[in-house]
Amino acid sequence: MVRFRGALLFILVVVAATSRLRLPDAPVARAAVAGTLRGRVEILREKVTERRPSIGDLGMPGRRDLPDQRVAVVYLETAPRGAFEDRPGPTVVLDQKNENFVPHILAITVGTSVEFLNSDRTYHNVFSLSKANSFDLGRYPPGRAKAVRFDHPGIVRVFCEIHSHMNAFILVFAHRHFAVTNAQGEYRIDGVPPGTYTVSVWHPSFTVKSETVKIPEQGGEVDVSFVLS
Amino acid sequence: MIRSTVVLAFLSAVMAMPTGLARASDAGAPAPKRFTFGAEVVASVATDDPGYFNDTSYGQSAMRLARVRVDAALRLGGRAALLAEGRADNGEGLTVAALYLRLRPLPDRPLDIQVGRIPPVFGASGRRGYGADNPLIGSPLAYQYLTSLRADSLPASADDLLAMRGRGWRTRYSIGSSVWDRGLPVIAGDRWDTGVEVRIGREPVSLAAAVSQGTLSDPRVRDDNAGKQVSGRLEVRPSLGLIVGASASRGEYLSRDAGRSLPADRHRDSYRQQGFGVDMEYSRGYWVLRSETVLSRWAIPQVQHPLLTDSLAAWGTFVEARYKIRPGLFTALRVDHLDFSRISGTLFEGRPTSWDAPVSRVEAGAGYSVRRNLLVKLAVQRNWRTGVTIGARESVAGAQALLWF
Repeated sequence: MVRFRGALLFILVVVAATSRLRLPDAPVARAAVAGTLRGRVEILREKVTERRPSIGDLGMPGRRDLPDQRVAVVYLETAPRGAFEDRPGPTVVLDQKNENFVPHILAITVGTSVEFLNSDRTYHNVFSLSKANSFDLGRYPPGRAKAVRFDHPGIVRVFCEIHSHMNAFILVFAHRHFAVTNAQGEYRIDGVPPGTYTVSVWHPSFTVKSETVKIPEQGGEVDVSFVLS
Repeated sequence: MIRSTVVLAFLSAVMAMPTGLARASDAGAPAPKRFTFGAEVVASVATDDPGYFNDTSYGQSAMRLARVRVDAALRLGGRAALLAEGRADNGEGLTVAALYLRLRPLPDRPLDIQVGRIPPVFGASGRRGYGADNPLIGSPLAYQYLTSLRADSLPASADDLLAMRGRGWRTRYSIGSSVWDRGLPVIAGDRWDTGVEVRIGREPVSLAAAVSQGTLSDPRVRDDNAGKQVSGRLEVRPSLGLIVGASASRGEYLSRDAGRSLPADRHRDSYRQQGFGVDMEYSRGYWVLRSETVLSRWAIPQVQHPLLTDSLAAWGTFVEARYKIRPGLFTALRVDHLDFSRISGTLFEGRPTSWDAPVSRVEAGAGYSVRRNLLVKLAVQRNWRTGVTIGARESVAGAQALLWF
């Protein structure tokens, strides 16, 4: 009787663990060659985030850099099983230079720590009111960095309390199948198991655009490009 | 005529200069916009303030204010910009609170010139225009509280003035205008003067000077006494997070009409307001500390006995602290006092008495950012007015919602 109960408990635990791991609509990764998603995101209209007029200043405001608005993030809406298992949790740096966050858009996986480095000659005060990942680092001097670990997926809007025009986006993914476009708008997502996926592109000035793609059993490169206008 | 031609020629030359500020670090990155604007909507409600502790020179209560504010800047090349601010308070019409031309005549040199209705050079609080820059709802006393003195109506004697102690919200005297009206604040924090200002340097040391139409207490668009105010400010940033400033000003405050009403043998050309101020801001971590002390002196004519033998002085000091408790949530406290010099008349049994009733205020509050650009503040104020029987003390509680773009 005791042995029977023990076996039943074991089965229940295994079933529970298996069902927890199963994702709805997630394509099953077979023993096949992983493919690559690549392409280009063309942004036809750039939106500049300017500071509010400095009405109360006694002169011209200091020079500052403007955020690079050509960057977008391409990602899989539904990730293959196994994509959630490796959480590297590295530390990446989001710099503050010339009153500008560099990079303007950062994409990370859950568990990653971001170091907010102050490379300016003035105080900065990085904060976010995003529900899942709110934080406030207080005012800290040049040369110092403060780190925040992001434990929840979602879009985190980052600001500086002192310089209201400074803003950045951190996209926290629960999986690793995403890529940030380079200066030419190109992206590449490697290691995608065969299957059918929804691939989306995110940019702060546009609504999300999605495409359905299929990675064949034999792997290879699949080209998906987007135009944001 | 020649002078205006020279000014026009100078402005044209500056406008024609090549741009120096339009720059982005990366090739291909977007250029700065030519036209930028910001807007702020403020709605404040508060319990009754029967002692008029929060009345401003605009005739509104700083604790009960509904304000729509739009700021705009038009870049004219890299070395010039036209800036403007329009306000509509409590549903009244739109007023132009600021309108000036900003010039940087020498490229990459920290020399700036501003012409028009300009931000004040004196002190620090007057330039903190955006509502979110104020961690509380009320304003510092020196920048808001109405004294019993006026620019267009003058007390003939010490007794005239003493009779109006603590009645700055509605006062009048026997010389000049006989209409009941508001008195002057030490500094009109909500109104800007019209003139020219120059700033040299930026960090760690800057020096600014201005010539303008009005005075600290009574900034003006149109001159009303043919006198100009000269003001200056030295600002030093000795270390990160620390800003120390010293300011001074001198200008004619008495209106032409009030001057004409003086007896001929008492008429002087010059009745000046002089101001001196020191201010400090220190910030680090989750703290911001601010303090400012302002001393103002008004020259006053001697007309009848008991005579006003000396200029009238007022000094205000406040200390303010803000601490962030958690993301989006902060608490703040301001301790504030405004005092006045002593004069002697026949009232108050002939004892030397402050010419206006000294005022103290403690304001405590908290703010919560619902969103980054939506701030809600709650504040409680305790006010004391010394040496008066009516409106001696009161508490005011208020709430404010602030939305900006």
